[in-house]
Amino acid sequence: MKYFQPHSVEDALEIAQTAEATFLAGGTDLVLHMRTGKVQPSGIIDLGKVSVLREIKITDGFLNIGSMATFADLGKSELVLRNAYALWQACQTMGSPQIRNQATLGGNLGNCSPAADGLPPLLALGAEVHLMSAEKEEIVPLATLLGRTPLLGQETLIRGFCIPLKELKSGFAKLGRRRALAIARLSVAVALEVNENKVENVRVALGAVGRRAFLSESLSQVLSGQELNQEWLEKGVLEVQRIVREALGTRASAPYKRVAVSGVFREALESIITEGGIQA
Amino acid sequence: MIEINLVVNEKPYTLNVEPSERLIDALRNRLGLLGTKEGCGEGECGACTVIMDGKTVNSCLVLAAQANGSVITTIEGVGNRRSPHPVQKAFVEVGAVQCGFCTPGMVLSAKNLLDRNLKPSETEIGIAMSGNLCRCTGYDKILRAVKIAAEEGAK
Ligand SMILES: Cc1cc2nc3c(=O)[nH]c(=O)nc-3n(C[C@H](O)[C@H](O)[C@H](O)COP(=O)(O)OP(=O)(O)OC[C@H]3O[C@@H](n4cnc5c(N)ncnc54)[C@H](O)[C@@H]3O)c2cc1C
Ligand code: FES
Ligand code: FES
Repeated sequence: MKYFQPHSVEDALEIAQTAEATFLAGGTDLVLHMRTGKVQPSGIIDLGKVSVLREIKITDGFLNIGSMATFADLGKSELVLRNAYALWQACQTMGSPQIRNQATLGGNLGNCSPAADGLPPLLALGAEVHLMSAEKEEIVPLATLLGRTPLLGQETLIRGFCIPLKELKSGFAKLGRRRALAIARLSVAVALEVNENKVENVRVALGAVGRRAFLSESLSQVLSGQELNQEWLEKGVLEVQRIVREALGTRASAPYKRVAVSGVFREALESIITEGGIQA
Repeated sequence: MIEINLVVNEKPYTLNVEPSERLIDALRNRLGLLGTKEGCGEGECGACTVIMDGKTVNSCLVLAAQANGSVITTIEGVGNRRSPHPVQKAFVEVGAVQCGFCTPGMVLSAKNLLDRNLKPSETEIGIAMSGNLCRCTGYDKILRAVKIAAEEGAK
Protein backbone atom coordinates (compact mmCIF):
# COMPACT_ATOMS: atom_id res chain seq x y z
CA MET A 1 0.00 0.00 0.00
CA LYS A 2 1.25 3.43 -0.94
CA TYR A 3 1.01 6.38 1.42
CA PHE A 4 0.94 9.98 0.23
CA GLN A 5 1.06 13.05 2.42
CA PRO A 6 0.51 16.07 0.15
CA HIS A 7 0.76 19.67 1.43
CA SER A 8 -1.62 21.34 -1.00
CA VAL A 9 -5.05 20.71 -2.51
CA GLU A 10 -3.52 20.72 -6.02
CA ASP A 11 -1.06 17.96 -5.11
CA ALA A 12 -3.78 15.92 -3.42
CA LEU A 13 -5.97 16.14 -6.54
CA GLU A 14 -3.13 15.18 -8.83
CA ILE A 15 -2.27 12.12 -6.77
CA ALA A 16 -5.95 11.15 -6.67
CA GLN A 17 -6.11 11.31 -10.43
CA THR A 18 -3.01 9.25 -11.12
CA ALA A 19 -2.89 6.76 -8.27
CA GLU A 20 -5.65 4.45 -7.15
CA ALA A 21 -5.87 5.81 -3.65
CA THR A 22 -8.38 6.67 -0.93
CA PHE A 23 -8.52 9.96 0.95
CA LEU A 24 -7.74 9.78 4.66
CA ALA A 25 -9.02 12.54 6.96
CA GLY A 26 -9.02 11.85 10.73
CA GLY A 27 -9.18 8.10 10.28
CA THR A 28 -11.83 7.37 12.92
CA ASP A 29 -13.85 5.45 10.34
CA LEU A 30 -11.23 4.51 7.77
CA VAL A 31 -8.59 3.10 10.14
CA LEU A 32 -11.24 0.82 11.67
CA HIS A 33 -12.55 -0.25 8.27
CA MET A 34 -9.02 -1.09 7.15
CA ARG A 35 -8.52 -3.26 10.20
CA THR A 36 -11.73 -5.18 9.78
CA GLY A 37 -11.03 -5.56 6.06
CA LYS A 38 -14.20 -3.71 5.11
CA VAL A 39 -12.04 -1.55 2.85
CA GLN A 40 -8.64 -2.47 1.45
CA PRO A 41 -7.23 0.62 -0.22
CA SER A 42 -4.26 0.18 -2.51
CA GLY A 43 -3.10 3.65 -1.55
CA ILE A 44 -3.85 6.38 0.97
CA ILE A 45 -3.83 10.14 0.48
CA ASP A 46 -3.51 11.60 3.98
CA LEU A 47 -5.04 15.10 3.97
CA GLY A 48 -3.73 15.95 7.44
CA LYS A 49 -0.99 18.24 6.17
CA VAL A 50 -3.18 20.28 3.82
CA SER A 51 -3.74 23.10 6.28
CA VAL A 52 -6.07 25.23 4.11
CA LEU A 53 -8.65 22.46 4.40
CA ARG A 54 -9.06 23.19 8.10
CA GLU A 55 -10.19 26.78 7.71
CA ILE A 56 -13.50 28.02 9.10
CA LYS A 57 -14.31 31.50 7.78
CA ILE A 58 -16.93 33.86 6.41
CA THR A 59 -16.81 34.91 2.75
CA ASP A 60 -19.46 36.42 0.47
CA GLY A 61 -22.47 35.67 2.60
CA PHE A 62 -21.45 32.12 3.44
CA LEU A 63 -19.92 30.37 6.40
CA ASN A 64 -17.20 28.29 4.75
CA ILE A 65 -16.01 25.18 6.54
CA GLY A 66 -13.04 23.22 5.22
CA SER A 67 -13.52 19.47 5.03
CA MET A 68 -10.68 18.83 7.49
CA ALA A 69 -12.16 20.97 10.29
CA THR A 70 -12.63 18.60 13.21
CA PHE A 71 -15.75 18.33 15.36
CA ALA A 72 -13.66 19.84 18.19
CA ASP A 73 -12.66 22.81 15.97
CA LEU A 74 -16.29 23.37 15.01
CA GLY A 75 -17.61 22.92 18.53
CA LYS A 76 -15.26 25.65 19.76
CA SER A 77 -15.83 28.06 16.88
CA GLU A 78 -17.62 31.36 17.59
CA LEU A 79 -18.51 31.58 13.89
CA VAL A 80 -20.24 28.21 13.98
CA LEU A 81 -21.98 29.01 17.25
CA ARG A 82 -23.40 32.24 15.85
CA ASN A 83 -24.20 31.16 12.30
CA ALA A 84 -24.94 27.45 12.42
CA TYR A 85 -26.28 26.68 15.87
CA ALA A 86 -27.64 23.22 15.05
CA LEU A 87 -24.25 22.14 13.74
CA TRP A 88 -22.54 23.58 16.80
CA GLN A 89 -24.89 21.58 19.04
CA ALA A 90 -24.22 18.38 17.10
CA CYS A 91 -20.49 18.89 17.59
CA GLN A 92 -20.86 18.98 21.40
CA THR A 93 -22.41 15.53 21.62
CA MET A 94 -20.63 13.72 18.81
CA GLY A 95 -18.39 10.82 19.93
CA SER A 96 -16.04 11.50 22.84
CA PRO A 97 -13.44 14.27 23.31
CA GLN A 98 -10.78 12.07 21.71
CA ILE A 99 -13.02 11.28 18.73
CA ARG A 100 -14.00 14.95 18.31
CA ASN A 101 -10.33 15.95 18.28
CA GLN A 102 -9.71 13.65 15.35
CA ALA A 103 -12.95 13.24 13.40
CA THR A 104 -13.62 15.72 10.59
CA LEU A 105 -16.82 17.03 9.01
CA GLY A 106 -15.56 15.94 5.56
CA GLY A 107 -15.01 12.41 6.86
CA ASN A 108 -18.51 12.41 8.32
CA LEU A 109 -19.91 13.02 4.84
CA GLY A 110 -17.36 10.74 3.15
CA ASN A 111 -18.31 7.83 5.38
CA CYS A 112 -21.99 8.83 5.22
CA SER A 113 -23.38 6.45 7.81
CA PRO A 114 -27.15 6.66 8.28
CA ALA A 115 -26.49 8.15 11.73
CA ALA A 116 -23.76 10.66 10.77
CA ASP A 117 -24.37 13.52 13.21
CA GLY A 118 -23.05 16.30 10.99
CA LEU A 119 -25.45 15.72 8.12
CA PRO A 120 -28.92 16.59 9.49
CA PRO A 121 -27.76 20.05 10.70
CA LEU A 122 -26.03 20.74 7.38
CA LEU A 123 -29.19 19.71 5.50
CA ALA A 124 -31.47 21.83 7.66
CA LEU A 125 -29.15 24.84 7.29
CA GLY A 126 -29.19 24.49 3.50
CA ALA A 127 -25.48 23.72 3.16
CA GLU A 128 -23.78 23.24 -0.18
CA VAL A 129 -20.80 20.99 -0.71
CA HIS A 130 -17.71 22.10 -2.60
CA LEU A 131 -16.31 19.15 -4.57
CA MET A 132 -13.09 19.10 -6.56
CA SER A 133 -11.16 16.74 -8.76
CA ALA A 134 -8.26 17.39 -11.10
CA GLU A 135 -10.78 17.74 -13.91
CA LYS A 136 -13.86 19.23 -12.38
CA GLU A 137 -15.06 21.60 -9.71
CA GLU A 138 -18.63 21.63 -8.50
CA ILE A 139 -20.78 23.18 -5.79
CA VAL A 140 -23.87 21.08 -5.07
CA PRO A 141 -26.57 21.31 -2.41
CA LEU A 142 -25.94 18.59 0.17
CA ALA A 143 -29.52 17.38 -0.30
CA THR A 144 -28.78 16.76 -4.00
CA LEU A 145 -25.44 15.10 -3.33
CA LEU A 146 -27.03 12.68 -0.87
CA GLY A 147 -29.26 11.45 -3.69
CA ARG A 148 -26.26 10.22 -5.69
CA THR A 149 -24.92 6.68 -5.77
CA PRO A 150 -22.05 6.32 -5.34
CA LEU A 151 -21.80 9.46 -3.26
CA LEU A 152 -18.42 10.48 -4.73
CA GLY A 153 -16.03 9.33 -7.41
CA GLN A 154 -12.78 7.93 -6.05
CA GLU A 155 -10.83 10.96 -7.31
CA THR A 156 -13.29 13.51 -5.92
CA LEU A 157 -12.20 15.56 -2.94
CA ILE A 158 -14.67 17.13 -0.55
CA ARG A 159 -13.13 20.60 -0.40
CA GLY A 160 -15.59 21.99 2.11
CA PHE A 161 -19.08 23.15 3.02
CA CYS A 162 -20.81 26.50 2.40
CA ILE A 163 -23.65 27.47 4.72
CA PRO A 164 -25.64 30.55 3.59
CA LEU A 165 -25.83 33.28 6.24
CA LYS A 166 -29.57 33.77 6.56
CA GLU A 167 -30.15 34.51 10.22
CA LEU A 168 -31.79 31.15 10.68
CA LYS A 169 -32.82 29.79 14.03
CA SER A 170 -31.77 26.19 14.29
CA GLY A 171 -31.49 23.28 16.67
CA PHE A 172 -30.39 19.65 16.85
CA ALA A 173 -31.09 16.70 19.12
CA LYS A 174 -30.21 13.03 19.04
CA LEU A 175 -30.84 9.81 20.77
CA GLY A 176 -28.32 7.05 21.25
CA ARG A 177 -24.61 6.72 20.93
CA ARG A 178 -22.80 5.47 17.90
CA ARG A 179 -22.41 1.92 19.10
CA ALA A 180 -25.84 1.82 20.58
CA LEU A 181 -27.92 -0.62 18.60
CA ALA A 182 -29.14 0.88 15.35
CA ILE A 183 -32.63 0.59 16.78
CA ALA A 184 -31.83 3.16 19.46
CA ARG A 185 -30.38 5.85 17.23
CA LEU A 186 -32.21 8.83 15.86
CA SER A 187 -31.42 12.48 15.17
CA VAL A 188 -33.39 15.57 14.17
CA ALA A 189 -32.21 18.99 13.00
CA VAL A 190 -34.53 21.95 12.41
CA ALA A 191 -33.87 25.36 10.87
CA LEU A 192 -36.35 28.14 10.21
CA GLU A 193 -36.74 31.86 9.61
CA VAL A 194 -38.76 33.98 11.98
CA ASN A 195 -40.89 36.81 10.55
CA GLU A 196 -42.85 38.73 13.18
CA ASN A 197 -44.66 35.83 14.85
CA LYS A 198 -44.61 33.58 11.81
CA VAL A 199 -42.07 30.97 10.83
CA GLU A 200 -41.00 30.61 7.21
CA ASN A 201 -38.91 28.17 5.25
CA VAL A 202 -38.96 25.49 7.91
CA ARG A 203 -36.48 22.74 7.13
CA VAL A 204 -36.42 19.51 9.10
CA ALA A 205 -33.80 16.81 8.51
CA LEU A 206 -33.80 13.33 10.02
CA GLY A 207 -30.86 11.01 10.69
CA ALA A 208 -30.85 7.24 11.25
CA VAL A 209 -34.32 6.69 9.84
CA GLY A 210 -33.18 5.80 6.35
CA ARG A 211 -30.11 4.78 4.40
CA ARG A 212 -28.88 8.36 4.59
CA ALA A 213 -29.96 11.54 6.37
CA PHE A 214 -32.72 13.36 4.48
CA LEU A 215 -34.79 16.56 4.42
CA SER A 216 -38.52 16.24 4.79
CA GLU A 217 -40.52 18.07 2.11
CA SER A 218 -43.83 17.44 3.81
CA LEU A 219 -42.71 18.84 7.16
CA SER A 220 -41.59 21.97 5.36
CA GLN A 221 -45.02 22.35 3.84
CA VAL A 222 -46.98 21.59 6.97
CA LEU A 223 -44.96 23.91 9.18
CA SER A 224 -43.94 26.90 7.05
CA GLY A 225 -45.81 30.22 6.96
CA GLN A 226 -47.60 29.68 10.24
CA GLU A 227 -47.71 31.07 13.69
CA LEU A 228 -45.39 29.42 16.13
CA ASN A 229 -47.48 28.10 18.99
CA GLN A 230 -48.42 24.89 20.77
CA GLU A 231 -50.71 23.86 17.96
CA TRP A 232 -47.86 24.24 15.48
CA LEU A 233 -45.65 22.05 17.59
CA GLU A 234 -48.27 19.30 17.89
CA LYS A 235 -48.86 19.37 14.14
CA GLY A 236 -45.12 18.93 13.66
CA VAL A 237 -45.02 16.01 16.07
CA LEU A 238 -47.83 14.18 14.24
CA GLU A 239 -46.22 14.77 10.88
CA VAL A 240 -42.73 13.71 11.97
CA GLN A 241 -44.21 10.51 13.37
CA ARG A 242 -45.98 9.86 10.10
CA ILE A 243 -42.72 10.34 8.19
CA VAL A 244 -40.83 7.93 10.40
CA ARG A 245 -43.62 5.37 10.03
CA GLU A 246 -43.47 5.72 6.28
CA ALA A 247 -39.67 5.62 6.10
CA LEU A 248 -39.26 2.58 8.31
CA GLY A 249 -42.27 0.54 7.21
CA THR A 250 -42.25 -2.85 8.88
CA ARG A 251 -38.67 -2.68 10.13
CA ALA A 252 -38.17 -3.87 13.68
CA SER A 253 -37.10 -0.42 14.84
CA ALA A 254 -40.26 1.27 13.52
CA PRO A 255 -42.53 1.14 16.60
CA TYR A 256 -39.78 2.40 18.91
CA LYS A 257 -38.58 5.18 16.66
CA ARG A 258 -42.06 6.38 15.87
CA VAL A 259 -42.60 7.10 19.54
CA ALA A 260 -39.08 8.31 20.25
CA VAL A 261 -39.00 10.81 17.41
CA SER A 262 -41.60 13.06 19.00
CA GLY A 263 -39.32 13.64 21.99
CA VAL A 264 -36.25 14.18 19.84
CA PHE A 265 -38.20 16.59 17.61
CA ARG A 266 -39.38 18.63 20.62
CA GLU A 267 -35.84 18.69 22.00
CA ALA A 268 -34.43 19.93 18.69
CA LEU A 269 -36.84 22.86 18.96
CA GLU A 270 -35.93 23.70 22.54
CA SER A 271 -33.33 26.27 21.57
CA ILE A 272 -35.85 27.92 19.24
CA ILE A 273 -39.04 27.89 21.29
CA THR A 274 -38.68 29.10 24.84
CA GLU A 275 -41.44 29.37 27.39
CA GLY A 276 -42.33 32.89 26.40
CA GLY A 277 -42.55 32.06 22.71
CA ILE A 278 -39.88 32.35 20.07
CA GLN A 279 -36.40 33.06 21.26
CA ALA A 280 -35.21 36.52 20.28
CA MET B 1 7.69 1.44 4.56
CA ILE B 2 7.53 5.19 5.07
CA GLU B 3 9.86 7.35 7.06
CA ILE B 4 8.31 9.58 9.71
CA ASN B 5 9.73 12.07 12.17
CA LEU B 6 8.09 12.68 15.49
CA VAL B 7 8.85 13.83 19.00
CA VAL B 8 7.74 11.51 21.78
CA ASN B 9 8.10 12.59 25.41
CA GLU B 10 10.49 15.35 24.30
CA LYS B 11 12.79 12.99 22.38
CA PRO B 12 13.00 13.18 18.56
CA TYR B 13 12.69 9.92 16.60
CA THR B 14 12.91 8.91 12.96
CA LEU B 15 10.99 5.70 12.31
CA ASN B 16 10.22 3.52 9.33
CA VAL B 17 6.64 2.37 9.60
CA GLU B 18 4.16 0.36 7.56
CA PRO B 19 1.40 2.50 5.96
CA SER B 20 -1.28 0.56 7.85
CA GLU B 21 0.59 0.58 11.17
CA ARG B 22 -1.27 2.37 13.97
CA LEU B 23 0.31 4.87 16.31
CA ILE B 24 -0.30 2.57 19.28
CA ASP B 25 1.67 -0.21 17.54
CA ALA B 26 4.59 2.10 16.78
CA LEU B 27 4.67 3.39 20.36
CA ARG B 28 4.50 -0.04 21.95
CA ASN B 29 6.47 -2.19 19.52
CA ARG B 30 9.03 0.18 18.08
CA LEU B 31 9.60 2.51 21.03
CA GLY B 32 8.84 0.03 23.81
CA LEU B 33 6.43 2.45 25.48
CA LEU B 34 4.13 -0.13 27.02
CA GLY B 35 2.21 2.28 29.24
CA THR B 36 -0.17 3.00 26.34
CA LYS B 37 -2.79 0.25 26.60
CA GLU B 38 -5.00 -1.31 23.97
CA GLY B 39 -8.46 -2.08 25.28
CA CYS B 40 -11.19 -2.15 22.67
CA GLY B 41 -9.08 -1.20 19.66
CA GLU B 42 -12.16 0.61 18.31
CA GLY B 43 -12.09 4.11 19.74
CA GLU B 44 -14.58 3.41 22.53
CA CYS B 45 -12.59 2.95 25.75
CA GLY B 46 -9.80 5.55 25.72
CA ALA B 47 -7.19 3.18 27.25
CA CYS B 48 -4.89 4.05 24.33
CA THR B 49 -5.20 7.85 24.82
CA VAL B 50 -2.09 9.91 24.08
CA ILE B 51 -1.65 13.65 23.71
CA MET B 52 -0.82 14.59 20.12
CA ASP B 53 -0.02 18.23 19.36
CA GLY B 54 -1.81 19.33 22.51
CA LYS B 55 -4.94 17.24 21.97
CA THR B 56 -6.01 13.86 23.28
CA VAL B 57 -6.51 11.19 20.63
CA ASN B 58 -7.11 7.45 20.65
CA SER B 59 -3.84 6.01 19.35
CA CYS B 60 -5.67 2.89 18.15
CA LEU B 61 -7.43 5.05 15.52
CA VAL B 62 -4.44 7.10 14.33
CA LEU B 63 -2.01 5.72 11.77
CA ALA B 64 1.62 6.13 12.76
CA ALA B 65 2.16 7.92 9.44
CA GLN B 66 -0.50 10.50 10.38
CA ALA B 67 1.67 11.43 13.37
CA ASN B 68 4.52 12.46 11.07
CA GLY B 69 5.75 15.85 12.30
CA SER B 70 3.78 15.64 15.55
CA VAL B 71 4.69 16.07 19.19
CA ILE B 72 3.37 13.27 21.36
CA THR B 73 3.12 12.71 25.10
CA THR B 74 2.52 9.22 26.47
CA ILE B 75 2.12 8.25 30.12
CA GLU B 76 5.89 7.69 30.34
CA GLY B 77 6.33 11.42 29.68
CA VAL B 78 3.99 12.53 32.44
CA GLY B 79 5.70 11.46 35.61
CA ASN B 80 7.22 8.48 37.36
CA ARG B 81 7.32 6.79 40.73
CA ARG B 82 9.84 9.25 42.12
CA SER B 83 8.21 12.39 40.84
CA PRO B 84 4.57 11.69 40.04
CA HIS B 85 2.43 14.28 38.27
CA PRO B 86 -0.17 15.94 40.57
CA VAL B 87 -2.88 14.01 38.70
CA GLN B 88 -1.10 10.72 39.38
CA LYS B 89 -0.68 11.61 43.05
CA ALA B 90 -4.34 12.43 43.38
CA PHE B 91 -5.39 9.18 41.65
CA VAL B 92 -3.38 7.17 44.16
CA GLU B 93 -4.53 9.18 47.17
CA VAL B 94 -8.21 8.93 46.32
CA GLY B 95 -8.01 5.26 45.37
CA ALA B 96 -9.04 5.86 41.78
CA VAL B 97 -6.79 3.03 40.60
CA GLN B 98 -7.78 -0.63 40.84
CA CYS B 99 -6.52 -2.86 38.04
CA GLY B 100 -4.88 0.21 36.52
CA PHE B 101 -5.57 -0.66 32.90
CA CYS B 102 -7.52 2.52 32.24
CA THR B 103 -5.27 4.73 34.37
CA PRO B 104 -2.68 5.89 31.80
CA GLY B 105 -5.43 7.10 29.48
CA MET B 106 -7.34 8.70 32.36
CA VAL B 107 -4.23 10.53 33.57
CA LEU B 108 -3.49 11.86 30.08
CA SER B 109 -7.04 13.14 29.60
CA ALA B 110 -6.90 14.82 33.02
CA LYS B 111 -3.43 16.29 32.46
CA ASN B 112 -4.50 17.65 29.08
CA LEU B 113 -7.54 19.31 30.67
CA LEU B 114 -5.46 20.93 33.43
CA ASP B 115 -2.83 22.07 30.92
CA ARG B 116 -5.56 24.04 29.14
CA ASN B 117 -7.77 24.99 32.05
CA LEU B 118 -6.39 25.65 35.53
CA LYS B 119 -9.79 25.82 37.19
CA PRO B 120 -12.15 23.41 35.46
CA SER B 121 -15.75 23.16 36.67
CA GLU B 122 -17.24 19.77 37.53
CA THR B 123 -19.04 19.77 34.19
CA GLU B 124 -15.81 20.47 32.35
CA ILE B 125 -14.08 17.65 34.22
CA GLY B 126 -16.96 15.31 33.39
CA ILE B 127 -16.76 16.14 29.69
CA ALA B 128 -12.96 15.87 29.55
CA MET B 129 -13.05 12.39 31.12
CA SER B 130 -16.06 11.11 29.17
CA GLY B 131 -13.97 9.33 26.53
CA ASN B 132 -12.23 7.11 29.09
CA LEU B 133 -14.00 4.04 30.42
CA CYS B 134 -13.19 2.16 33.63
CA ARG B 135 -14.49 -1.28 34.42
CA CYS B 136 -13.38 -1.31 38.05
CA THR B 137 -13.79 1.90 40.03
CA GLY B 138 -16.82 4.07 40.21
CA TYR B 139 -16.29 7.20 38.17
CA ASP B 140 -16.84 9.24 41.34
CA LYS B 141 -13.35 8.53 42.55
CA ILE B 142 -11.78 9.37 39.23
CA LEU B 143 -13.66 12.66 38.95
CA ARG B 144 -12.80 13.48 42.56
CA ALA B 145 -9.11 12.80 41.87
CA VAL B 146 -9.12 15.20 38.92
CA LYS B 147 -10.81 17.83 41.04
CA ILE B 148 -8.23 17.45 43.79
CA ALA B 149 -5.38 17.65 41.27
CA ALA B 150 -6.90 20.85 39.89
CA GLU B 151 -7.17 22.38 43.35
CA GLU B 152 -3.58 21.37 44.15
CA GLY B 153 -2.32 22.76 40.88
CA ALA B 154 -4.16 26.04 41.32
CA LYS B 155 -2.50 26.70 44.68
C1 LIG C 1 -15.83 5.54 19.13
C2 LIG C 1 -16.45 6.26 17.98
C3 LIG C 1 -17.55 7.09 18.20
C4 LIG C 1 -18.14 7.77 17.13
N1 LIG C 1 -19.22 8.55 17.40
C5 LIG C 1 -19.83 9.20 16.37
C6 LIG C 1 -20.97 10.03 16.61
O1 LIG C 1 -21.42 10.22 17.76
N2 LIG C 1 -21.54 10.64 15.54
C7 LIG C 1 -21.07 10.48 14.26
O2 LIG C 1 -21.61 11.06 13.33
N3 LIG C 1 -19.99 9.70 14.01
C8 LIG C 1 -19.37 9.05 15.03
N4 LIG C 1 -18.29 8.25 14.76
C9 LIG C 1 -17.88 8.03 13.37
C10 LIG C 1 -16.75 8.91 12.84
O3 LIG C 1 -15.98 9.44 13.88
C11 LIG C 1 -17.29 10.06 11.98
O4 LIG C 1 -17.99 9.55 10.87
C12 LIG C 1 -16.20 11.02 11.51
O5 LIG C 1 -16.78 12.25 11.13
C13 LIG C 1 -15.33 10.52 10.38
O6 LIG C 1 -14.36 11.51 10.08
P1 LIG C 1 -12.80 11.17 9.88
O7 LIG C 1 -12.13 12.46 9.66
O8 LIG C 1 -12.29 10.34 10.98
O9 LIG C 1 -12.90 10.35 8.53
P2 LIG C 1 -11.99 9.18 7.91
O10 LIG C 1 -12.16 7.95 8.70
O11 LIG C 1 -10.62 9.67 7.68
O12 LIG C 1 -12.72 9.03 6.49
C14 LIG C 1 -14.04 8.54 6.38
C15 LIG C 1 -14.40 8.35 4.90
O13 LIG C 1 -14.52 9.60 4.24
C16 LIG C 1 -13.61 9.70 3.15
N5 LIG C 1 -13.10 11.08 3.19
C17 LIG C 1 -12.61 11.72 4.28
N6 LIG C 1 -12.29 13.00 3.98
C18 LIG C 1 -12.58 13.17 2.67
C19 LIG C 1 -12.47 14.27 1.77
N7 LIG C 1 -12.02 15.49 2.18
N8 LIG C 1 -12.83 14.10 0.48
C20 LIG C 1 -13.30 12.89 0.04
N9 LIG C 1 -13.44 11.81 0.85
C21 LIG C 1 -13.08 11.95 2.15
C22 LIG C 1 -12.54 8.66 3.41
O14 LIG C 1 -11.96 8.18 2.22
C23 LIG C 1 -13.35 7.58 4.11
O15 LIG C 1 -14.03 6.80 3.19
C24 LIG C 1 -17.64 7.61 15.82
C25 LIG C 1 -16.51 6.81 15.61
C26 LIG C 1 -15.92 6.13 16.65
C27 LIG C 1 -14.72 5.27 16.40
S1 FES D 1 -8.08 0.85 22.67
FE1 FES D 1 -8.22 2.72 21.66
S2 FES D 1 -10.07 3.47 22.40
FE2 FES D 1 -10.07 1.48 23.23
S1 FES E 1 -9.02 0.58 37.24
FE1 FES E 1 -9.46 -1.22 36.12
S2 FES E 1 -10.32 -0.40 34.30
FE2 FES E 1 -10.13 1.33 35.53
